[in-house]
Amino acid sequence: MPAELSFPWFAWRNLWRRRLRTTLTLAGIAMGIGAFVGLVGFSRSFAHEWLLMYESSGTDIAVVQQTFLSTSVSEADGAKLLALPTVARVSPMILNLMDLTQDVNALSYGWKADSYEFDSLHVVAGRRLRDGHAELMLGELLAGSLHKRPGDTLQIQGSIFTVCGVYHGGSALEAGAAILPLDQMQKLGSLEGKVTAFHVRLKPAPLNEPPDHYLARAQQEIEAALPGLRAVPAAERAANNQIVVLASAAAWGTSSIALLIGILGIANTMAMAVFERTGEIGLLRALGWNRWRVVLLVEIEAAGLGFAGGLLGIAVGWAALRILARLPQTASIVSSSFSWPLLAEATGIAIFAGLLAGVVPAWRGARLSPVEALRHD
Amino acid sequence: MTDVILQARGLRKSYDNGRMQALRGVDLDISAGDFLAIVGPSGSGKSTLLHLLGGLDTPSGGDVLWRGVTLGSRQDHLDFYRARHVGFVFQAFHLLPTLTVLENVQVPMMSAPRNGASRSGRARALLAELGLDGCVRQFPNELSGGQRQRVAIARALANDPELLLADEPTGNLDSENSERTLDVLTELRKRRGMTLVIVTHEHGIAEAAERHIRIQDGRIA
Repeated sequence: MPAELSFPWFAWRNLWRRRLRTTLTLAGIAMGIGAFVGLVGFSRSFAHEWLLMYESSGTDIAVVQQTFLSTSVSEADGAKLLALPTVARVSPMILNLMDLTQDVNALSYGWKADSYEFDSLHVVAGRRLRDGHAELMLGELLAGSLHKRPGDTLQIQGSIFTVCGVYHGGSALEAGAAILPLDQMQKLGSLEGKVTAFHVRLKPAPLNEPPDHYLARAQQEIEAALPGLRAVPAAERAANNQIVVLASAAAWGTSSIALLIGILGIANTMAMAVFERTGEIGLLRALGWNRWRVVLLVEIEAAGLGFAGGLLGIAVGWAALRILARLPQTASIVSSSFSWPLLAEATGIAIFAGLLAGVVPAWRGARLSPVEALRHD
Repeated sequence: MTDVILQARGLRKSYDNGRMQALRGVDLDISAGDFLAIVGPSGSGKSTLLHLLGGLDTPSGGDVLWRGVTLGSRQDHLDFYRARHVGFVFQAFHLLPTLTVLENVQVPMMSAPRNGASRSGRARALLAELGLDGCVRQFPNELSGGQRQRVAIARALANDPELLLADEPTGNLDSENSERTLDVLTELRKRRGMTLVIVTHEHGIAEAAERHIRIQDGRIA
């Protein structure tokens, strides 16, 4: 117990005095922050895995239609891309979500057998797929959840596909995915001659040209050669593709509602605290505290609630992320690595939420007439 | 010539849209070092007068002047006046139950530019002066009524005020503690040269004061 009285200590003693209410309020804000960490962490993890996939395969640029989810890019444009001076390799691909069994759906890629993207995958069982054959490769995570090994079969849209290999990928998005020959994916979707995107690996940048400048020049070159298509750097594509944006919007929306409930909880607690301590606030004013000092005390209590609830919520949210990273249904899109920026953001939001929730009660407390407030006791 | 520090001029206070007149024009001069007792029956306006003199409330009419300058009704001026010049002692002690004795005495000093060590040191010195150095770590509910009132007096002295205003300071105490509290107040006043204004029902206190006024129906009788 410190001998010197400070604002934080004073605030702490007030919160400790009403332990049950403080605990319930903490639980409320922890739910909000936990939802934020869990959901936004989930969507960011998704984006991170996407980027990891591009990085591990050495993809610099994705060439896509304006609308990501449509598989409407002409496969023939691949030849035009390859002819450009900055382009080293081009991999046409189809991306889709596919129901592989009644219970398991997974990201499914259509790649050509000679795609450079196979370079980053390590085949742990069986072999690489071949063009023109009804076969597929499974990421080891997906193979585990489907209990499939090379030689087993899967029925996809009425066609029998043989599992030809199981691979280990650098990204959870690959580890939980299936890869089919591009032509087979086109056949399944009646999309002959169409692809979702071209993944492009650039030639090394000239020594006298900064990498950013080189990347921008390559983008311009591609877009000039293929009007109507967009050349998007891999990092931007990872963070801003429609699936990630949708997941992020859903995460923010849901966690905002949870946060709002937490904020209302703190506001209610602080309003009650100010009401119950009307006499005390009157005394503080009688002892020479100005209104701003009263506001400061109430706001420190509210921010303290936000901070402590935030820490609790971070722990809950992170635990939820770890669980999601182990569940077969979600393991393919979530990694359990801890994100310090997310932690800092969650802490900041929690403190801000506390301060916001404390504003009205603090101001009401500060506006009390000292003599009226003293009479309240 | 006496040094008048506090004046009331035509002081009025009404409530309930003027239907209830608590003070009906009070004129009063209080000099530095005065020991003034304000007596009168319940509801006569004694406490209202004390609150107005202490800047806790604003008058409906008339003025309170501190060293010739009107206090007015601006909250920042009144806050400054209370923080720098006035100490309050209340009948109900009004100690904060979550804070220790030592911390309670430091509360008024948080409105002054002092660091934590200086606040704590001054609070210890004040408590020692009032014979409470043995209970600095205790909470108010662990003290007797007399001890609580002495803690409240120590707190009132925290910012070294020139004016100590006490509203029925012995109202909640038995006779022995009342006597002791009065002794403490008068002794402190002498030692520090403070001005002491006490609102009281008790004849003993009124007789101990150098001067007393009687309030009756909102006026000095």
